[in-house]
Amino acid sequence: MDASSRPAVVIDNGTGFTKMGFAGNVEPCFIIPTVVAVNDTLSSQSKSSNKGNWLAQHTAGVMADLDFYIGEEALSRSRASTNYNLSYPIHNGQVENWDAMERFWQQCIFNYLRCDPEDHYFLLTESPLTAPENREYAGEIMFETFNIPGLYIAVQPVLALAAGYTTTKCEMTGVVVDVGDGATHVVPVADGYVIGSSIKSIPITGKDVTCFVQKLLKERGEFIPPEDSFEVVRKIKETYCYTCSDIVKEFNKHDREPSKFIKHWTGVKPKSGATYTCDIGYERFMGPEIFFSPEIYGSDFTTPLPAVIDKCIQSSPIDTRRALYKNIVLSGGSTMFKDFHRRLQRDLKKIVDTRVRAASSRLGPDVKSQPIEVNVANHPIQKYAVWFGGSVLASTAEFYTACHTKAEYEEYGASICRTNPVFKGMY
Amino acid sequence: MILLQSPSRFLLQILHDRLLSQDKGVDIDCQTVEFDDVRYHIQVSMRNPKVLVLSVALPLPPEEAASFDGLPFGAIEAIKAAYGPVVQILDPPKDGFDLTLKINLAKLPSDEEQKNAILLQIASIREVVLGAPLKILLKNLSMKTVGPEAGQPVALVHRPNESFFVVPQADKATVVYPMRFLDSIDIVLATSFLQEFVEARRTAALNNAPACMWSQSPPPELKGAPESALTANAGFVTFVVNPRHVEGKKLDRTVWNLLTFHAYVSYHVKCSEGFMHTRMRRRVDTLIQALDRAKSDAEKLKKMVTGPSFKK
Repeated sequence: MDASSRPAVVIDNGTGFTKMGFAGNVEPCFIIPTVVAVNDTLSSQSKSSNKGNWLAQHTAGVMADLDFYIGEEALSRSRASTNYNLSYPIHNGQVENWDAMERFWQQCIFNYLRCDPEDHYFLLTESPLTAPENREYAGEIMFETFNIPGLYIAVQPVLALAAGYTTTKCEMTGVVVDVGDGATHVVPVADGYVIGSSIKSIPITGKDVTCFVQKLLKERGEFIPPEDSFEVVRKIKETYCYTCSDIVKEFNKHDREPSKFIKHWTGVKPKSGATYTCDIGYERFMGPEIFFSPEIYGSDFTTPLPAVIDKCIQSSPIDTRRALYKNIVLSGGSTMFKDFHRRLQRDLKKIVDTRVRAASSRLGPDVKSQPIEVNVANHPIQKYAVWFGGSVLASTAEFYTACHTKAEYEEYGASICRTNPVFKGMY
Repeated sequence: MILLQSPSRFLLQILHDRLLSQDKGVDIDCQTVEFDDVRYHIQVSMRNPKVLVLSVALPLPPEEAASFDGLPFGAIEAIKAAYGPVVQILDPPKDGFDLTLKINLAKLPSDEEQKNAILLQIASIREVVLGAPLKILLKNLSMKTVGPEAGQPVALVHRPNESFFVVPQADKATVVYPMRFLDSIDIVLATSFLQEFVEARRTAALNNAPACMWSQSPPPELKGAPESALTANAGFVTFVVNPRHVEGKKLDRTVWNLLTFHAYVSYHVKCSEGFMHTRMRRRVDTLIQALDRAKSDAEKLKKMVTGPSFKK
């Protein structure tokens, strides 16, 4: 059995969470936060003290290299003891700290997935704004350290589009609205290629929704133990928040029937073990509202998400625009709010219709224009749509031929990883 | 992580999630692969939410390793002993797999600790099945009896098409691994790692550990083994296991550590490469700083806000 007959490993490294698993599966094996907890005390001690007992220091220094944790364990270890410092290797979709990233991958492959990297082809993902050097570094680490037989670095929005494939419909043109935990991008893709100059990003992410809900709860005086208030609010956000169609009407609905709308959250205080409850009322719909009216959150960014999407499509080549409006795909955990796609479609259609009406009124009654169809797609695997798209693509036969192999790497060097062609299996 | 853990993290996660979510949840149908070509296929359908079907495929054995019905010697008895009524072996196994088990979550003991212990055992299915023949040999050692193969090397499978040898005797068992690596850098690193490994055994603190030797050519214990099994590009590692290493609870740990020795070495070789990359990056940073300092004063005057500097 050689590497191409085994399922490929798909790892989607996001700013907040990493999704990893094997190709051919519907959902990833593991979804863990992208964080590394490193034990810094031993390495800094060995620098300051002198010769005495160098053997102990030497072994401590050597073991310190292997003494790190990733994901949920890293978070719990850093809370439990002060020896471990957290480091987030990815910011805004870009890898900033390659040492931490290498360690992270090492743990992912050997401890979580428990596979031998020499046996599998790998599919990694990257944000559309990454510099080609970053692809080169990633390729270098994968081929040199882990000795993988083949690597393909895919762009996240293209995989999100691939996630929406059915047997009849393979749309490789569309706008991907990727709202993640650390970065939000609106990316137009035409025929599998990203239109780089039209990518728009907004500074409102899933983390901001959590912070906003946290602020509202605190202002109202709800009690949540401060140690894990962020985690608790995150769970509240994921369970109870939804998108409304109109804030004013929603406020009225809440005021008229409080018992139907107000939800209660019971939790256990970590230090004392006592239970506490808190009520969640307006925050349920105010949280996701910051995407549509960012001024309620902060004053530095005030363009609502539908307007950003519209601007992005208007800046793309004119022949692609209709197709882009027809296929707007959502991906990322923060698009999982109930009715998010309906609200987005409604607001975007309003903007488009206003513009079309203004244009046709200027041109007079003789010129008839075709109405622009706006369609926001919604499917249940949005949370890890990128990973799922990767799994779909990596299970096609053409994937193995499109990967860069170790032989090519040894012949030409890491620069081959800069380009990853769109291959036939995608459409 | 220094040592490879015995239970498969993914299986354990699925089992715990199933227990917690009881009757809700979705169908699960997942295929995963572990190192050394062990494949798992786990299926849960919502029609019987309490029943999981787990299929395991094992690495292809080379000719010299004996196997009965596709499973290692003694595997079926080991499964029955370890899991009791919770697990039922389905015969014939699913297509493409060597073993299929039906796990009935309703039959788990109600005590929390015992439940977790059994789930951990189920997730360590690989250790139970692949380690069965080794466990039998080592159990004979701990009871100081000798099986029919005394003095002869017995070939056991641990990787696809590769085996390691155990020579059981009355008072000790010698385990010999021919170490093979694919990449030339890996071979060099593995050789120096193993030589250091043997050196480390000589320090005073580790007197209770099994004796360990490394040699480039096949050691004399392997006289009876076929030629094809004796090529190894990173040398041969020999461990001498005494009865006190395999008594009681230590038997399981010893079996697992011996079974996954090659994966352990491979993991540490890759960690060393990663470590060296960290040092190389740090060195590149200091060199770039030195180069940046080496600009003439005239250039520094001409420099605007962001002047030229060497990029990584």
